[in-house]
Amino acid sequence: MNSRLFKLVTRLASSKAGSVEYPFSKNALLPVPLAVPSDRADALRKGRGLMYFLQQNLPEPKKRQWLQTLFSRQHPQRLLPGSVLTVTLEHAPGVFSGVLMSVRRRGPDTSFVLRNVVQRTGVEMQFFVNSPHLKDIRVIQRAGGGPGKEGRRQRRAKLFFLRDSPSKMTAISAGLRG
Amino acid sequence: MIEMRPAPEVAVLQTRPTLLLCRTLSFIRGPMFHQLDLMRVVFKQTRLGKAAFFFFKSPPRTMLGLRSLAQTPQLLIQRCCRQLHTTAANLANTVPHPKWTASSLRTGLIARKRGMTAMWDDNGARVPITVLQLENCQVTANIVTLRPDRSEYHAVQIGASDRPSRTTTAQMKGHFRKARVPPKYVVREFPVTPDAHIPVGTTLSAVHFVPGQYVDVTANSIGKGFQGVMKRWNFRGLRASHGVSVSHRSAGATGAHQDPGRVWPGKKMAGRLGGKRITMQNLTVMRVDTDLDLIFVKGAVPGADDAHVLVRDAKKRLVTLAQAHQAVGAYEKVLPKGVDDLPFPAGTKEMAQHLPTVIEARSKRVTSPFVPRE
Repeated sequence: MNSRLFKLVTRLASSKAGSVEYPFSKNALLPVPLAVPSDRADALRKGRGLMYFLQQNLPEPKKRQWLQTLFSRQHPQRLLPGSVLTVTLEHAPGVFSGVLMSVRRRGPDTSFVLRNVVQRTGVEMQFFVNSPHLKDIRVIQRAGGGPGKEGRRQRRAKLFFLRDSPSKMTAISAGLRG
Repeated sequence: MIEMRPAPEVAVLQTRPTLLLCRTLSFIRGPMFHQLDLMRVVFKQTRLGKAAFFFFKSPPRTMLGLRSLAQTPQLLIQRCCRQLHTTAANLANTVPHPKWTASSLRTGLIARKRGMTAMWDDNGARVPITVLQLENCQVTANIVTLRPDRSEYHAVQIGASDRPSRTTTAQMKGHFRKARVPPKYVVREFPVTPDAHIPVGTTLSAVHFVPGQYVDVTANSIGKGFQGVMKRWNFRGLRASHGVSVSHRSAGATGAHQDPGRVWPGKKMAGRLGGKRITMQNLTVMRVDTDLDLIFVKGAVPGADDAHVLVRDAKKRLVTLAQAHQAVGAYEKVLPKGVDDLPFPAGTKEMAQHLPTVIEARSKRVTSPFVPRE
């Protein structure tokens, strides 16, 4: 009931100013239009640089920030595989922590996989950065940060070998229990 | 290729029953259309005999009209001469706005496949998206022909993607000059019902499709060259080991023995794969952006990026379903869920100016897939 009310309110709020209706579909959503820069408008209408523009502008501002910092390839604040993250979700399980195993960079379709051992069972979850259900990402431990075994930078982009070696998992995620 | 012959100003009448009579047809001018062009009717020469080609720029002379009325097929009079307006000044809102009905068939559009991405619907479910963009999609002709069995064929000819004049042939330049549009790279026609003709020169917009409706997308698939049977026909090949020599990906046997003693025609074998005209049916339109003329379609679409694709109302999940439900009387089911009406005869640039810039479809699901059912 609350979510339905919320949806109705956001729909009314997000419609164009001046109450412009869309007569062909009563319950269609009217999101905020993309900010097309005037100097690039002609090129975009011809398709030049269109996909890059959509990849930058389709995500919401908060998600765009994440994509440009945490999940970029070059940014100094990017998340390296081997970092330990806690993710807050809108659906079950609500909160999930784990070691960052892989980042799949596809613009708005970027996703990452966290691995954890929950009640003696290895659990991996893939999260899409742009998903409306992904509320918050907190970094518990950065890879490549402090000295010693835990902070050492991983020499792989994808840590799938962790599936076969529980000892390495324990070494990396020791900071979680502490 | 349709023969285009500029018709003489003066009508030539023949009394033979195979005669085709053409009248200038000015179409319904609702508040939607501001162009004051009269539609040109282009007739193909039929096999039955010589046809007279007409092109009226001025109002039809009464005497000519009466005499020709006596000779024309009734069907043609009823349908084509239903609205006869001479000049734009007489039109002035006397005819109501045309509406989409379950028995009408609208034109399609020509778009460019730009690429794929993903979006999340209002339930939070991920939807893979193909981005299609319209590149100055304009109507270049309206086509009306009589088939040998006297039935009518109506179509709207659409051109897309402006082309430099110096690379356009003289013949095509003449054709585009008649339509008063810039030369185009691609010209295709879409069969429509007689009520769905559009004034020549109209620029169409992404608003033609309603988020939530289903479309068929047609394009030439990516060519894969000469391919083996495993890729081309999903054959399983042979074992990787255990004595198989040199034929791990081959087709194996191609027939029986002495009976029939030959290979059946059409036997699946290796050959050229791809590069054919393919239609993906029943794709949902998820989002429409009139600023950049984008149509976001759920799923994949044949063809490479930047290829031209034809986008039409889905034959199975929109057109035939609408006709079936209308015939039975299930009026709520005529259009897909979430779609209340379709722009008719087409969604144009003028219409797009009065509508929101971005329209997105809601999820077809009633409940969220993330909430477990009790």
